[in-house]
Amino acid sequence: MQELLNHPAMQGGIAPFVTALIAAALLRRWQLSGLALIAGFLITAYMSGSLGLEPLTAIRKSILLGIAAAVLGVVLSKSSWRGMRATLAWAGGAAAIWAVLRILQQHNEFLTALPWGVGCAAYAGWLIFWTDNLRNQPVRAGSAGLALGLGTGLAALLGSSALLGLLGLALGAASWAFLLLQVASARPPPCGRSFTLPLSLLAALVGCLGVLTAELPWYVLLVLAAIPIAAQIPAPQKSSLWLQSLLLSAATLVCAVGAVYLTWRVTGLPPI
Amino acid sequence: MKQSVVFAALLLTATAPLSALAAESYTIDSSHTFPHFSISHLGFSTMHGRFDNTSGKITLDRAAKTGTVDISIDTNSISTGFAKRDKDLMSPDFFNVAEYPTMTYKASSMSFKGDAPATVNGSLTLLGVTKPVKLTINSFHCGIFPMNKKEKCGADATAEIKRSDFGMKTFLPGIGDDVKLVFEIEAYKD
Repeated sequence: MQELLNHPAMQGGIAPFVTALIAAALLRRWQLSGLALIAGFLITAYMSGSLGLEPLTAIRKSILLGIAAAVLGVVLSKSSWRGMRATLAWAGGAAAIWAVLRILQQHNEFLTALPWGVGCAAYAGWLIFWTDNLRNQPVRAGSAGLALGLGTGLAALLGSSALLGLLGLALGAASWAFLLLQVASARPPPCGRSFTLPLSLLAALVGCLGVLTAELPWYVLLVLAAIPIAAQIPAPQKSSLWLQSLLLSAATLVCAVGAVYLTWRVTGLPPI
Repeated sequence: MKQSVVFAALLLTATAPLSALAAESYTIDSSHTFPHFSISHLGFSTMHGRFDNTSGKITLDRAAKTGTVDISIDTNSISTGFAKRDKDLMSPDFFNVAEYPTMTYKASSMSFKGDAPATVNGSLTLLGVTKPVKLTINSFHCGIFPMNKKEKCGADATAEIKRSDFGMKTFLPGIGDDVKLVFEIEAYKD
């Protein structure tokens, strides 16, 4: 049994998928199905031994920020303030810098650390800003989550970090479960910021850490950044949710495949 | 009474330079100091690796049978003979070198067998976690290094740790938890 629980496919795929599916189904009556994403992510973080506070590594800071983002997402789900998206993007950028601060501090000179810090903040801000646009469109948000998770996870895996790979894949698996519930249900559960905010922040942080601490090429993030935009392509509104999700997933997964391909071109396969 | 106080003061003054002299300071010779590690690879074999950059100071007072160790190991200098695996070991899965570029070993307690140190009780700081680690010294030799006529001491030492104690949990238990450490250490007298 322990061997099964230690298997990467269980930790990064099956466990977050099943956890997110159960969480989304259980929480739908309170309109909190979006929390399925953080539930799936946290089970992977727990199984991979990443949960904890001491020492407060960049990965652990990211997990804490993911939890905070989910809570904030619930609180702000009803907010219709026009400046909210931009405010969340700026806050996400600042949070990203806090998460990677110790890594930036290892650079001997401020000017060498600056572009990495600014790049991380910009990537987090960008993903948060554009993913927030999908908060009231669950199928689009689920498709974006599936592609962002798979793309970030597989690219991180190729970029020499199994741990970051698992965490990224967990986002994809949890999003897939959420998406599946959308299309299989007669009354699709709502999405909201409790899904989009932790999704975009965690995907950004996993991507940034892949660049800063492993071998993920920085320009792969540019390809991944196109995913929330691709999730906004026109889709036939009158068609079934199955077809919509298929079209939107295909559009977003093109970006994910592109990111994985670019990483593979540079890093090759990981050592086994 | 006054005489004995003066005598004690004189004795202290006279012995102070002697005890200062007795504690000898050494600087690690990085070209002859390598921490090696070995770990089970999924039970198939034992994988070996080493760190190529180590620096630090050691003090020894063989008369008082005391000493200190302060060693810093550059985790970025890991080498297992396969560059791709080295990159993997540098990632957050294992040594997380971008965030924790050094590990340190500090000790202020030693036990001696005769006038040679036998064990060192110190603390290893790895990935931001500090745990006590006991080094067993299997061989110890001091003398004049023939190439440059400088005084030098060298030792072979071993220790065992569990990597999970330091939060390094990726791929447990497939990649073993028990890590054997073997140190070849040489240091020049300052």
